[in-house]
This record gives sequence, structure tokens and C-alpha cells, in this order.
Amino acid sequence: MALLEVENLQTHFRTPGGINRAVDGVSFHVNEGETLAIVGESGCGKSVTSMSLMRLVPEPPGRIAGSIRFAGKDLLKLSDREMRAIRGNDISMIFQEPMTSLNPVLTVGRQIRETLMIHQGLDKQAAEAHAIEMLTLVGIPEPKRRVREYPHQLSGGMRQRVMIAVALACNPKLLIADEPTTALDVTIQAQILKLMLDLKRRVGAAIILITHDLGVVAEIAERVMVMYAGRKVEEAPVAELFRSPRHPYTQGLLGAVPKLGSSLAGTATRLAEIPGQVPDLRKPITGCVFAGRCALATDLCRQYAPGLEEKGPRHIAACHYAAKGAIAA
Amino acid sequence: MLSYILRRIVATLPVMAIVALFVFSLLYIAPGDPAVVIAGDQASPEDVERIRQSLGLDRPFLVQFGSWVWRILHGDLGTSIFTNLPVSAMIGQRLGPTLSLMIVTLLLTIVVAVPLGVVAAWKAGSLIDRVIMGFAVFGFSLPVFVVGYMLAYVFALELEWLPVQGYTPLTQGLWPWLENLILPAIALGCVYIALVARITRAAMLEVLQQDYIRTAKAKGLGQGGILFIHALKNAAVPIVTVIGIGIALLIGGAVVTESVFAIPGLGRLTIDAILRRDYPVIQGIVLLFSFVYVLVNLMIDVTYTLVDPRIRY
Repeated sequence: MALLEVENLQTHFRTPGGINRAVDGVSFHVNEGETLAIVGESGCGKSVTSMSLMRLVPEPPGRIAGSIRFAGKDLLKLSDREMRAIRGNDISMIFQEPMTSLNPVLTVGRQIRETLMIHQGLDKQAAEAHAIEMLTLVGIPEPKRRVREYPHQLSGGMRQRVMIAVALACNPKLLIADEPTTALDVTIQAQILKLMLDLKRRVGAAIILITHDLGVVAEIAERVMVMYAGRKVEEAPVAELFRSPRHPYTQGLLGAVPKLGSSLAGTATRLAEIPGQVPDLRKPITGCVFAGRCALATDLCRQYAPGLEEKGPRHIAACHYAAKGAIAA
Repeated sequence: MLSYILRRIVATLPVMAIVALFVFSLLYIAPGDPAVVIAGDQASPEDVERIRQSLGLDRPFLVQFGSWVWRILHGDLGTSIFTNLPVSAMIGQRLGPTLSLMIVTLLLTIVVAVPLGVVAAWKAGSLIDRVIMGFAVFGFSLPVFVVGYMLAYVFALELEWLPVQGYTPLTQGLWPWLENLILPAIALGCVYIALVARITRAAMLEVLQQDYIRTAKAKGLGQGGILFIHALKNAAVPIVTVIGIGIALLIGGAVVTESVFAIPGLGRLTIDAILRRDYPVIQGIVLLFSFVYVLVNLMIDVTYTLVDPRIRY
């Protein structure tokens, strides 16, 4: 059963240069306990999508339209008070920047305690005990000492563990992780991903993982949604997507991943890139959003926007030539 | 921490020494022969000579300075030329009213200005923000004595809610003490409130952009908790700094305020001393204010460590 159903999500920002359609008509769902990855390059609207789910987009200048049904409730119709009861409790979030996402002047313990005291009604002692438990759970040594420390006394990896502890303290049903490992070095990345997966199984949470790192996607996601210029261009189970990407943009993304050891094996090729730039989201786009950068684009693409069509088992893509594209790949 | 405070107190000694040198030089920087100045217009040459000798003004400058400092270190600020009373006793009598006025003003400022600044930053660009900042400009532009007389006219003379002027010591009860201080504190605090509210708004605006504020929202915190705990504590360093600097403003403003409301404090004493060219009294008061200011600065630095754990000495 779908835990989260997003329909025709539109998040627009009023700017001096016109309305920026950061997210423009995106629909998707997340099942209970499932891991959905949202991928795309910078500025494709993946972070704005996640912020919209939590209604953390500043309004104004932002405006969220469409519907976001979570466990039967439309989040966009809730009052601020009702929404606060969901944030950090049913849906919680891990951010990209562990260095700046924790409050520098409050102890780690306090920052974990807060969410427990607000949502679970624990008193200070009980919340403190639970905070220490959470720190143990996320693998922080000497939790009793660390709970009284401040963020600047912890390393980046440790801080991200604390963020995870904060996010999971109330056993959320949905965890949104916005590039949780981007700011960390590679060995720490693997640890943090493993930790997220372990904890997800423990509490049975669903995860929306926002990333541009396809290696991470292959490792932990079950389903992938590809976004481009504020729209969804392809969606498929992870193995299917890596095996036969249909949208030329997805193919470009996969082609842009360097293959480790290829130069030693003598199969080295120049790293593929996607030429051109993301279109200006403040101007209305006619035709396919990717047409300007697509090698396969024809007049048809430039005039008529392709709809999302079934291209394979549980596999949809928005491309007039998706079938051909699969062969070309 | 304790060793830091001790070190800081030791470090204030050279500062105080320089201040003392300036204060002492006052008499010599002022035009004319100090002995003539002190003796006044109607003194005979014999009187002047007598004063010169009794005050040791015929000795070298540094020797005079040395013996003056030595006496101060022993708690002797000299004797008033006008009243012949010890300066320390005169200051002691006047300290209570001024200290009361400054403390009430300080508390009023913190209680009013900080929340106003926080709300203005939260609602930045809105009507509330513009109204608050408009009042801040207004408060900034009005001189203390104008506000003072206006308040006294409206609330004391017309409405008769509060006394027009005067002072009652705290020993006579909390309300009699406070009711005499409310109008002076508002008059004196106007500029100060405007300043602190503006700085609070600016500091808060910057903090509210930070990632950890977004985190706090994502945790489901209410607006109050986000503003007054997560944000304000981060914005506290510049706010505390300005509150501290403002104490210097208060010292200057207190002189005027005490005249307007006829409060028998140090401000009045200062004016009287200046008008009478009572140099020992002027020196004693300036020295005291400098010392208070150095002390306030130390308190500001110590407060930093309370609000920001990253600051350690």
C-alpha cells in the first residue's frame, strides 16, 4: 500500500525575473518500507521536491500546489499546527550538510531530546536516556559523554550520525534523506549508508533518497525516479533502470559515471558528458524539456512534450523515442 | 575560566592607569593655571599661592600624579573644593539613584527591545516589521530631554499616574522606588531600545537563514522555540555586545535624565561639579565611570562563553 502519494506537485517561486517552476507537475508514490531514489543533476528540483513534502519551502516566495497524501491525509491541507505534529515524528529529514545542519550552540543531547519531548511527550530524564540510546544505535562511542557535547566537538561523520539519530528518534514512517553522504569522504559515506539501511529495517521506515550519486542509488534504492528541469522524466525499479534506461537523459547520466579500472583494462573511453545546459525554468517550455540537449531530438520533440508512457515492466519514461533510445544504449 | 577572569582583571590595570593619567591631566589640559582655576575669580594672589601649596601643585607633574594615584589606591579620592566633603562620600551618596536608574533602564531595554527585534526579523518585510523599525528610527531621533518632558507632561501632569520627579530609595519599598524610575527609564531607554532592537533584528535575520533553523523546523518545533531558543542563542553575541556598549550611552544619558526628573544622582553631581569647576569631584566621577565601563566589558566577554560554547578562553 502506498504510504505517500504525490500528485501533480508544483512548487513555484516568485522571483524578480518571473515565476521559477522549480517543480512542475511531478507525481510519484512511496510504499511502506520502500526505498525510492530521486536522481538528477543540480537544479533539477529534487531537493525542492523533498522540501515541499515537509512543507519547508518558504511561502512566499514559494507556492506549493497539487496534493501530497501521506497515510491518508493531504499534507497541503493541514494547518501549521497539524503539520508540525508530523514533521520529525511521522516524516523526518536528514540534510546534506552535517557541518551546518546542527545548531552550534545547543548540545547534541538537547537536539535529540527536543523531538522526543515534543512528539512523544517524554520528560527531560526519559528523553535524555532515549537520546543516549539513539547515539549508541547510530554507533557513536561514549554516548554518555557525547550527549553533553556540542556539534563543533564532533567530526563530519559523527555529526551526520547525530542527524540520523535526531531523524529516527521518533520512529518515523518516512525518512527523507537529501544527499546525506555528499559532504562526507568515501569511507564514511559507506558507513553512513549502511547505518541508514540497518536502521530503516529496524524501524520499518520508508526512505526517499535524494542524490546525484548513482553508485549510492545502485546500492540501496529499490526504485528510482529521474528528474530533469522540475519534471519526472523516467521511473523504474533500480535493476531495470540500470539495465535498460529509456530516457536519453538517464542514459546520459549513466554514461557520465566513470568506470573504475577501465584505463588499466585498456577499455578506457572518454567520460561521456551531456552537452548544453538546463533550460531556464522561468520561461515556459514548449515541447520536451530535454530537447535542447538531446542528440535524438527532432521537430516533434521541440513542438510536443512527450507524456510519461509505459516502456517496460513498472517502467515509465517521457520520451517520444524511448524505444529507439533503448536500442541506441 | 576563573583564571581567565583573573587575567582579565589584571589586564584592566594598565587600562585604568591610562584612564587615571588622562583624568589627572584634566586639570592641566584645561586652560589657565590650575591653582587660579581652583581658587576662583575672586581669590587674592595669596589665596592662590596657599592653594597651590596645599594641593602640592608646585611639585613636578609626575610626582603629583604618583601621590594622587597612591591616595586613590587607598580609597581617598580627595576633597571637594566646593563642599569640603570627601569625594568618595559624595559619590557614595549619589550612587544609589544612578545605579537604580541604569539597572531599571537596562532591564526595560532587554525585555522590550530583544522581543521586538526578534519579531521584526521573523516577520521581516511585513507591516509589523515596518512599524517596529519605524518606532526604532523615531526612538533614535528623539533627544532624551524631549522624551522626558513629554512623558512627564502626559503621564505625570495630565494623567497623574506617576510622580513628576524625585527619587525614593529602595529601602522605602519596591513600588515607591520603581514609580519614580519608570518615566526616567523610558526616556533614557528610548535610544537604547531602538539600537538594541535594530541589532537584534539584523543578527536574527542572518541566523534565520542558517541550515540548523531548517533542521529545527523539520523536527516539528514551534515558532517560539525556533525563534527564542534555536535562533536567538546564535544571534546573542552581537546583541550582548551592543547591550554592553549601550551602557556607555546610558552613562551619558543619565546625566541629562537626572536633570529632567530631578533625580539626585551622579549625573546631577557631575553637572554641578563641572559648573563649579570642582576638579577633584569631576576626576572621581570620571574615574568611577571608566572603571564601571571596563568592568562591563569584562562581563560582556564572560557572557559570550555562556551563549556560545565555541568561545573559550
